[in-house]
Amino acid sequence: MNFLSSKCRSRVLLALTISLAALVSAACAPMVPIEGATFTPIAASASPLQLSTEVNLKLSTGYSRTLPAGSSWRAVGTLPQGTVYQRINDVFTIEGRQVHEAYLVVQRSALLGFYLPAEGIFSPLTPSVSLPLGAP
Amino acid sequence: MRRTFLKFAGVASLAAILAACASGPKFQEVIAGTPNLKAGEGRIYFFRSSSMLGAAIQPEIRLNGQVVGNSRPGGFFYLDRPAGNYAASAATETEKSASFVLQSGETKYLRTSPSFGIIVGRIVVELESPEKAKAELLSLSYTGGEKTPAK
Repeated sequence: MNFLSSKCRSRVLLALTISLAALVSAACAPMVPIEGATFTPIAASASPLQLSTEVNLKLSTGYSRTLPAGSSWRAVGTLPQGTVYQRINDVFTIEGRQVHEAYLVVQRSALLGFYLPAEGIFSPLTPSVSLPLGAP
Repeated sequence: MRRTFLKFAGVASLAAILAACASGPKFQEVIAGTPNLKAGEGRIYFFRSSSMLGAAIQPEIRLNGQVVGNSRPGGFFYLDRPAGNYAASAATETEKSASFVLQSGETKYLRTSPSFGIIVGRIVVELESPEKAKAELLSLSYTGGEKTPAK
C-alpha cells in the first residue's frame, strides 16, 4: 500500500478492521442450547392451551421472544421433558446463530423449553417460566 | 466539476437501485393464476418489503442449499415443495438460516429483510405470521422463483 498516503492507509486499515469485527461478531452469535429428544406425536387434543397474559422470554442466546396474550397452542406430541404445543394459526421461532421454528414444551404449566421440529431436538429454557394459562 | 460528478453519481445510483426493485405483477394478479397444491406438498412464500433501506443488497435465496430466487425490495415469489424439513438462507457474508417444517397443504411465509452491521449489510430470513405476511404481500410484485428447479 505504498502508493497510499499514510492518512488514506490508516482509513483503509480501520475500515478493514471494522468489517472483520462485524463479520466475526455476526458469525459468533451463540447457538441455541440443544438436547436430544424423542418426540412422540399425539392426536389433536380436546382443548388447546391459551395464555391469559403476555409472556416475555429471555433466551440464553441473548435474543428475546414474546408469547402474546390470548395466543392458542395445540398439543401435537410429547417429549420426556413434557407436552409439546404448536402455535395455532401462527408461527413461533427462537433465535440464536440461526432462526428455528419452535413449539413449546410444557409440564404442569411451566415452560421448560422448546421443541425444534425441523431438527427434531429439544432446546431447554433456563430458568423455566410459569405460564399464565386461561382465557385473557 | 466535482459537484457535477457527485450529482451524476447520485442520480445514477438512484436509477440503478430503482431499476433493481421488483416490478412484476401484483400479488392479486398472481394468486388468481396460482395452481392448487398437489397432494403431499406445501407452499413457501418468500417476500421482502418495498423499503429502499438496503435496496442494493439483493442476494440469492437458498432453500436447503439450492438457489430458488433472489431477495428483491418489493418482491415476492413462491415455491411448492413436498412436506418436510427445510432451511432457508440468503447468500450474504454471514449466512443466517431459518429452519422450519412444511406440512402437507400448509403455507409458510418467509420474510427477507436487510440488517446492518457497522459497515456491511446482509439479508436476514425469518418466518413471518400468515396474517402479517398476507397483508404485506398485497402491495408486492412477483419476481419469480425456481432458478434451479428441484429434481
